[in-house]
Amino acid sequence: MKTIADTWPVVKGDYKVGNPKSRIAVVTLASSINSLPEAALWGSSKTENLGVEKIIANVISNSNIRYVLVCGTESRGHLAGHSLLAIHANGIDEKGRIIGSKGAIPFIENVPKEAVRRFQQQVVLIDRIGLVDSKEILKLVNKYKDKGEVYQDEPLVVCSPKKRRTAFAVPSSGDIIISEEFVMDSMAGVVCQAESLNSAIELN
Amino acid sequence: MFKFQKEQEIVKIAGVKIGGQPGELPTVLAGTIFYNKHEIVEDAAIGLFDRAAAEKLVNLQEIGSEETGNPHIVHIFGTTRKSIARYIDFVTEISEAPFLIDSPEGDVRAYAAEYVSEIGLADKAIYNSINMSINHSEMDALTLSDIDSSIILGFNATDSSLPGRMELLENGAGLLDEGLLSIADRCGIVNKLIDPSITPMGHGAGVALRMTITAKAKWGHPTGSGIHNAPSAWSWLNQKKEKDPVLYKICDVGSTCLQQAAAGDFVLYGPIENAPYVFPMAAMSDIMISEAVADLDIEPASRHPINLLV
Repeated sequence: MKTIADTWPVVKGDYKVGNPKSRIAVVTLASSINSLPEAALWGSSKTENLGVEKIIANVISNSNIRYVLVCGTESRGHLAGHSLLAIHANGIDEKGRIIGSKGAIPFIENVPKEAVRRFQQQVVLIDRIGLVDSKEILKLVNKYKDKGEVYQDEPLVVCSPKKRRTAFAVPSSGDIIISEEFVMDSMAGVVCQAESLNSAIELN
Repeated sequence: MFKFQKEQEIVKIAGVKIGGQPGELPTVLAGTIFYNKHEIVEDAAIGLFDRAAAEKLVNLQEIGSEETGNPHIVHIFGTTRKSIARYIDFVTEISEAPFLIDSPEGDVRAYAAEYVSEIGLADKAIYNSINMSINHSEMDALTLSDIDSSIILGFNATDSSLPGRMELLENGAGLLDEGLLSIADRCGIVNKLIDPSITPMGHGAGVALRMTITAKAKWGHPTGSGIHNAPSAWSWLNQKKEKDPVLYKICDVGSTCLQQAAAGDFVLYGPIENAPYVFPMAAMSDIMISEAVADLDIEPASRHPINLLV
């Protein structure tokens, strides 16, 4: 069975890749703690929305990861660590809000419910928020790096790093004046000839 | 460059004018002091800091402003009630400039609003920010305060597209019962500064530039952002930082010009230490933008860099 997505880690971020076959990933929240190669991924997470999304996307795209150590100093107001624990425990509601999170804006945009469920099933979170002692972290990494089996299902890729929406709107107003000849429709983002816009409006 | 058909509002906060047509007023620049891990801060919880170093930094910004004509705002960041009150006391003691009150915690922001009202400095304060995390207690605190200027943040955590951000301000985008502009009205905010919100690159940082234009075209309120947050959150650039700090600084400071070219009226440029580089760069952009719209019947202000530096 394939255990790691082809382009893993699937989203970029403030992290380092160690041993992709390790069972543990380490999230250091707002702290910067020197990484250990024994962990699959090692990085910070300061936000209760994009930060949480990135962790989920990179964890579920590697079925080898079965534990996520949440350590380091919590980011004030954002509560990125608390929000990660909350999404793992409770999931998200229909609006994408992390249930039970007290973070400032705990909403998920790019990760579907299916991915959250997979995250809940694939990994166990080790709540050590506040822990910054490297030696203690090393002990935990060594304890869990080979523990347990690979997750039963193949990696799940949910986030493409560059999301593009294709939409083209026909300009209907010239609310920005560029010159006598050209105007721009700010909502459509289109620059056009003022004359052609006038004719189009008259036809309508 | 271009001119908006919609009349562009100019607000005046503690003597500083913000807004207008591109090329009309110099860009207002706000440098952050007492930010997270700022080396002049000794204890962020109680607000202990090196006063001499802090004064030097505020002066650095004032010198830049005086020389180029770009007005300035002191962006105060605090994480506790005690620290933010101490920072406000200090900044208002040494500077006449308007100041932003900013905290990641809603209750600290609310307390700061109450505090500046108590000490009679609400007319100099700009609340940062009314955003989708606002709750009833923060709204009540803001309503009871004397603050009438606020940044309105277009950060939509569930839809970072242009329509998603615009709808959050207009009608709450299905996440709030009403739009943030309407909430601002209810809280007594007269001077609305729109910030389209800078999300990381790869998550729609560029959308904020487009929204700057769209928001000004639609509402005419002054609009700007903390665009330096895009390069500062860029992992690729951060990896280069240790090896070449100048490269990092060029991207960080240089992002200011992008916001200006997209019709921004104000820029929250990040660490106040960068003032000696940001002010000349912003002045350069202002001069070029002003020249670009000269035939669109837009007259630059008397203290615009075009009238001071060329």
